[in-house]
Amino acid sequence: MPESLATPEPIQRLIEALHRLPGIGPKSAQRLAYHIVRTSPQEAEGLARAVIEARERIRYCSVCVNLTERDPCAVCADPRRDASTICVVEQPLDVLAIERAGVYRGVYHVLHGILNPMEGVGPEHLHIDALVARVKSGNVREVIMATNPSLEGEATVMYVQRVLAPYPPRVTRLARGLPSGADLEYADTMTLARALEGRQEL
Amino acid sequence: MAARPPRSLATEGIVLRRRPSGEADATLVLLTPGEGRLDAVARGVRKPQARLRGHIEPVTRSRFLIARGRGRDVVAQAVTLDAYLRLKTSLQALAAAIYCCELAERLSAVHAPQHELYALLTDTLAALDAGANPEGSARYFELHLLAVSGYELQVVACAACGADLPEAEAFFAAGAGGILCRGCRADTPGRLLSVRAQKVLRFARRVTVAEFAALRVPPETAAEVRGALAEALRAVVDVEPRSGTFFESVSRP
Repeated sequence: MPESLATPEPIQRLIEALHRLPGIGPKSAQRLAYHIVRTSPQEAEGLARAVIEARERIRYCSVCVNLTERDPCAVCADPRRDASTICVVEQPLDVLAIERAGVYRGVYHVLHGILNPMEGVGPEHLHIDALVARVKSGNVREVIMATNPSLEGEATVMYVQRVLAPYPPRVTRLARGLPSGADLEYADTMTLARALEGRQEL
Repeated sequence: MAARPPRSLATEGIVLRRRPSGEADATLVLLTPGEGRLDAVARGVRKPQARLRGHIEPVTRSRFLIARGRGRDVVAQAVTLDAYLRLKTSLQALAAAIYCCELAERLSAVHAPQHELYALLTDTLAALDAGANPEGSARYFELHLLAVSGYELQVVACAACGADLPEAEAFFAAGAGGILCRGCRADTPGRLLSVRAQKVLRFARRVTVAEFAALRVPPETAAEVRGALAEALRAVVDVEPRSGTFFESVSRP
């Protein structure tokens, strides 16, 4: 390609940086990069500052490993929360989802991933040791596994159940079955089997 | 004028792997009997109410209708044939199933018939689902996978000259394709294999996966067989299967 038609080097570097973000393909990265360089200098600087600030000020909570500005995080520091019940989630966004439901009063533990042996994600890549340490040191009565109802989620539940087996807290999981508004006709075998297993008396 | 390829493919297949893609899509790696390994996009399946969602979980055998376009294949419909539910309630069996699926992905051909491999994988998953010993099932799968992929291990006669092997400790050379007699051994790298380990390998060749998995093998013989098959697989697949480490770690008591 003639040099005059090549993407300018700073834009190319921006495209490559954006392309490394999850869910951003090469075309989206290109569109975003060209959008950024067309915005006003103030807007572009604001974006850059927001990225730097978030990266500098956000850290891991030393108790639940969630992302927080203050350590311990607001949930772990709140005396009204029930510290004897730990809800284990895959990602910080799952904490927000459960908090939105407004019914859970316990604390959390964020694994920052899920067992995915085929992609090379093993237990050593998750914050499972920190969970075991919490269970060993504190007066925890229940650990609720709130991983996604997927094969990887199942593997993670079974693995955590295995490593926590020597300790007193009971390990439970979120109920599985049909989501509200779903069609029974289209439900898969596993969902139906789990829904039947978890049926409740009326 | 050349005939246009069909615009859709109706096939059964096993979901070997599922990777998130885009906002709510997933890319599936499927093993099918007639078309071998193929990638297909399942649109919107990461949304909670997606109808396809449960039918395209990894380690699930489903019937698919795949729309074939100029670009990527797209899953139009999927119905579960076997979800292997019991297997998914045991960590060790699940780890073995994932390991077998990864090996199948690495050794399968793209868009070429894979009837034998497909039958081997469905038999192995069915045996695991029925409660077969995960370690034995995985060893059986490894040995037969090599055979159906064109790398059959010679454990009855010398892999180089075809001479009969005496009933004695023998020299196993993965790179040479199996056991070598004294005359052919020379400087070939390899390992010694006990008579018992040789018998285990021969037994695996002539029985079903369920029969082999029911065999009680002493730990030291199991370790020999595991080591020999791992070497043979390394000689064929350059990269160590990622799920192998996890499977081994959960197999330890």
